[in-house]
Amino acid sequence: MKIAAQEPTKSRRIRRTEAVILFTVANQLFAIAADSVQEIRSTDSLGAALEIEQQEIPKVRHTVERNHRTYFVVNACVHFGLRVVRPTLVLILRQVRVAVLVDKIERMTEVSAIHALPRAFIGVECRWYRGLAYFEDQVIPVINPLGFLTANEFQRLDGSLAEAASQRTLEGAVQV
Amino acid sequence: MNATDNTNAKSYVLVQIGDRRFAMSAATVSELAPPVRLHHFPQSSPLVAGVIVRRGRIVPVYDVSRILAGKNSPAHRFYLVAARDFGSVSEPGAIPVDGECELVTAPTQNPDPASPKYISGTLTIGEENIQVLDLNALISSANTGSANAGSATAKPNGIESGETRA
Repeated sequence: MKIAAQEPTKSRRIRRTEAVILFTVANQLFAIAADSVQEIRSTDSLGAALEIEQQEIPKVRHTVERNHRTYFVVNACVHFGLRVVRPTLVLILRQVRVAVLVDKIERMTEVSAIHALPRAFIGVECRWYRGLAYFEDQVIPVINPLGFLTANEFQRLDGSLAEAASQRTLEGAVQV
Repeated sequence: MNATDNTNAKSYVLVQIGDRRFAMSAATVSELAPPVRLHHFPQSSPLVAGVIVRRGRIVPVYDVSRILAGKNSPAHRFYLVAARDFGSVSEPGAIPVDGECELVTAPTQNPDPASPKYISGTLTIGEENIQVLDLNALISSANTGSANAGSATAKPNGIESGETRA
């Protein structure tokens, strides 16, 4: 059998050590860069979460207020098409107005390399993941924090919030 | 085989997929990997069953048996790793195969006109006619078919697939 030609010299591996948080959603392990997570809280402590009235984006049912910003709460099970389980934790992200419902934090660790997603992948996962980490005999998808909601989805959700706020203002005016 | 046939002869790897044997150009094949662990994660790419790790590289696995044999691959299987072209770049991809592979040198005949586009020719080995697979065309046809069908549903963690460890 002929051995295939050597790979192009340019490696698709991004070589750097990176601190990541390993978490599970419906028994699926994911990694996310530690510096992209602002806060991890129990869902029980999110009593102030508000229900958002919209049907178009089923993975978002609530918003939370943190530091005068409104975060859209994304159910990671629905986002990734996994079996829906009751989440216990919420990751409040740093760069985007997104909080993610997850099952469990496994641990924080460092990965030495993040491999680019192979070109075979052409679906929504290209937006979901920054790449793949090979860590302790497991291939773990590394989350792209910007992939939870698209600009269009943000726009629609902001629109729903604005509509709800104007509705409340109107109702208040009628009561007065 | 006569002298004219010999000039047309190339090397092929014969692989068993389901109940059928197919040939792949040996020039594109890099290795036959043991039944290592197939890693799954949510994704929606047509035909991609997961990834395996070979020689420090993450290699996508294309489950072509549904197209070629009409059924899913069995749990215990080997992986034939071959080059897939993406424009000017080549990337390894693996397909699950059953049993052992065989290296042959034989002349190629044109494929039956009714054959799918991913069949690039046929080999005659003894009494058997074996179709030559074009992996790029096979996967492209699946991708096109999926795009036409508008499929974008993510595949969850493949619990139903046969996950094996070496």
